Amino acid sequence: MLAYHLNVLDMNLMNALIRDRDLWGEKWRKTMKRSVLLSVNGERREVFIKPNSTLLEVLRDELLLTGAKEACGSGECGACTVLVDGKPVNSCITLAMEAEGKAIETIEGLSKEGKLHPLQEAFIDHHAFQCGFCTPGMIMSAKAFLKRSPEPTKEEIRNAISGNICRCTGYENAVDAILDTAVGTEK
Amino acid sequence: MTNFRHIKKGPRRTDGALIVTGRADFTGDISLPGMLFGKILRSPYPHARIVEINTEKAKKLEGVKEVITGKDIGYRRFSFIDTPAFPADQTPLAVDKVRFVGEGVAAVAAISEDIAVTALHLIDVKYEELPPVFDPEEAMKDGAPAVHETIEPNTTTAWEDFGIPSTKSRPYKAVNNISNRNLIEYGDIGKGFEDADYLKEDRFEIPSTSHMAMEPHAAVASYQPTGKLDVWLSHMGFEHKRFWLAKLLDMPISRVRVHKTYVGGAFGGKISIFPYEFIAAYLSRLTLRPLKITLTREEVFCVCPPSRRMIVYLKTGVKKDGTITAQQVKVIDDVGAYRGSSPTALYLAHVFRNPIYNIPNLKHEGYGVYTNKLYTTAKRGHGLQQIVFAVESQLDMICDELGLDKVEMRLKNFRKKGDTLPNGDMLRSYGLPECLEEAAKKIGWREKYGKKKFRGLGIGTASMFSGAHNFPFSSAAMIRLNQDGRMILYTGQAEFGNGVDTVMAQIAAEVLDCPLDYVIVNSGDSEVSPHDLGNWLSGGVFVSGEAVRRAALDLKDQMLQHAAAGLDIPVEDLSIRDGWIIPGSDESKKLSFSDISRYGIQMAGGDPLIGKGFSKCVPEVYFWKGKFNKTASLSSGKGRFTEAYGLTLAIAEVEVNPNTGEVEIVEVVLADDCGTPINVKSVEGQIMSQAVMGIGDVFYEEVKIKNGIVMNPNLLEYRVPTANDIPKITSIIVDSYEPNGPFGAKEVGESPRAAAISAIANAICNAIGERIYTLPMTGDRIMEALHSKNT
Repeated sequence: MLAYHLNVLDMNLMNALIRDRDLWGEKWRKTMKRSVLLSVNGERREVFIKPNSTLLEVLRDELLLTGAKEACGSGECGACTVLVDGKPVNSCITLAMEAEGKAIETIEGLSKEGKLHPLQEAFIDHHAFQCGFCTPGMIMSAKAFLKRSPEPTKEEIRNAISGNICRCTGYENAVDAILDTAVGTEK
Repeated sequence: MTNFRHIKKGPRRTDGALIVTGRADFTGDISLPGMLFGKILRSPYPHARIVEINTEKAKKLEGVKEVITGKDIGYRRFSFIDTPAFPADQTPLAVDKVRFVGEGVAAVAAISEDIAVTALHLIDVKYEELPPVFDPEEAMKDGAPAVHETIEPNTTTAWEDFGIPSTKSRPYKAVNNISNRNLIEYGDIGKGFEDADYLKEDRFEIPSTSHMAMEPHAAVASYQPTGKLDVWLSHMGFEHKRFWLAKLLDMPISRVRVHKTYVGGAFGGKISIFPYEFIAAYLSRLTLRPLKITLTREEVFCVCPPSRRMIVYLKTGVKKDGTITAQQVKVIDDVGAYRGSSPTALYLAHVFRNPIYNIPNLKHEGYGVYTNKLYTTAKRGHGLQQIVFAVESQLDMICDELGLDKVEMRLKNFRKKGDTLPNGDMLRSYGLPECLEEAAKKIGWREKYGKKKFRGLGIGTASMFSGAHNFPFSSAAMIRLNQDGRMILYTGQAEFGNGVDTVMAQIAAEVLDCPLDYVIVNSGDSEVSPHDLGNWLSGGVFVSGEAVRRAALDLKDQMLQHAAAGLDIPVEDLSIRDGWIIPGSDESKKLSFSDISRYGIQMAGGDPLIGKGFSKCVPEVYFWKGKFNKTASLSSGKGRFTEAYGLTLAIAEVEVNPNTGEVEIVEVVLADDCGTPINVKSVEGQIMSQAVMGIGDVFYEEVKIKNGIVMNPNLLEYRVPTANDIPKITSIIVDSYEPNGPFGAKEVGESPRAAAISAIANAICNAIGERIYTLPMTGDRIMEALHSKNT
């Protein structure tokens, strides 16, 4: 019966160990909070956070940028993908403090001057989403990918978004949308 | 009808910009001032009596606002099916004993999620372990541990609340853990088997798979001091949710408002009320503060019901030429700790085969069986892929053994357009034979079959309702003309990725012959929308879409009446074209929609011009006071259930590496008879989606449970298809034109998955020359089959 305890009772304990600072007391938590300056979508934002706050928590709960989603909380699905210095990261397993002084880009920063980014337009044109929960993360992965591979093959695109799980579309429309954007950018 | 303006086209999703900018609000994105957070303490035991729960320490933790246990809530029972024969068996938190690992026993409301989690550790629960039972066939034996004691309903059942005439609720005593059963018979099964030249008997086992909707389940509840409850939920239609919230909280249904949210995938898994949804509402009422509960991915895997685990015993008799003479089916549905939708599933596991094959003599018996495991529910084709996997596997084996062509054999046994099914449902549209012909041609069946070693071809079929007369029994819609000539369409349909907002706008704009952006859709808000079936049993387009069509027609009629009065010409001389009302002879007198709105207000006593429409699936089934025309019986299979069946035929070609068991899918072709596709791109998206989901079902997906514990509750151990796993998938739309559907449309959202699973599974077995009787067909299972063949 020990297995039950380890596996389930303490699915909560595990969560606590990994993410919950309260086990060590409210006081500790309060004293350990500190002010951090983040650059998000070109804006300087000061946040007062715990040392083990994830970037995703800070974006969603402190800065109210809810475009990045938490779907697995353990870096397995890509729904929380944002760019840090141009590189896609799973923000659910990235500490916010690690992103201090780096350029953070989220889906909210993609459209400029009231216009959607070409990737966003292409995703709509190609019906590249259904429920849309994974879409912000996938678009951010695609953006970083196109920057480093402006003339990709379909195979390379599939690889680039293979860390972004989508349960609805079957991916091919997204691959087409990304390919279409790449072709469009070339012109 | 060929010159549609919007139908049979593929316009962009009207809400696309919200999705791609991250601005679409899912439940988890909702945050209200003063919001608390809820967490649930869960049982570590599969079967145990709760001796005592001490919550004192947890209550004293700073930041904790409320701690509740099952005893506080009491026996408020709920279930997907709640009838006098099968009364509800589940409570939001376990009251006296726990029946599966992960069942909730207590819940906390706190000012942060962190504090709520900490408080869970301060709750002390004393359990007395009871012997568990995990195997359904063991559970059915005399002397097996009883998962449930006699269930004594303490309220009317939902069935009675709906107004369905029924005998009084009675206690339910599960004998040998049987939670529910059905028996459906027609023809003469004995004679059918006597007439057969060949009999085949097999046992198939289909595991649970997770819906794995990307959005983890969440609920936000805000109980107002005025006695009103606002909720934001991940759901597939608000009616079930608000009915159950109101019933369990003992408040009027109209005082529960389910707000519109975007839903991050559902796939059949978010219809019923979940314990956490009730708990969020209950805690909000206790604290008079908004409260949010978000499940972790691990919780979603461990405590939210996955698809139904079924064992299918199948016996089929055929003539030498392949004509089916009889079929006997016994389904054992391992329901887990609670019955849920099993009575529906056992019925559907019968009825979904009905429109496919003409089986003159049939016996179908089903047993739902309680075990101490995670309970189960509907997933995209409820009971469909389970029965189809068994039937199509066996038909392939029969063809192999009798040397019959698998395409011809199926064509010989398919039903025909115009057939009436044993329960009275009619096939007014039926494109299945054409689907098979087209798919076989596309993949090159006749040229390729049996030509190459370790290459295989397989066929899968499927059918699905286009809605049924389930609660709330019909759908309605309203459309309101605004002074700028644009219209707001109110529908209760839920957008969870199906593109329904766009499809409903297309239907309304088609009727009113105006640009698509003239129609603004307000969907899925229970306080604003009229009643609606919701988006399950695939009735969205067929039933709710028809309600929208009729609402638009009603508005059009009112607009033309006003135009006729305003222009003083007969209404017959008017038409609507391109967003204008045009008098037959004189274009210069044309009126805009805006002109009509002004006419209504200034010249017709302030008439706001609101169109309404409604549609009831299977209108001849009704009940009201003494009047009662029998609804379909889930237990006996008698009675009408739907007006139209969507159909899919899939053919897959695979190549198996005999040294490793690896499978390469060469191509999957899915031919789908969905009637008229309203949005071609959305239809293709639905087909593609299900083909890929089917690939997961065949190759990797299984919720593995050992000693009652889910062993793979994360995405590393529960693998789903990624962008790298997608083979060539071809969809063919066979437009059979369903006369009762809006513009000829019917179902597309559920049948392709089952067809894809069977086609790929049959292709693998064809390639290796050996049968695998279960899913998923992993590399080791394939190797094992190859070895057994060689020894």
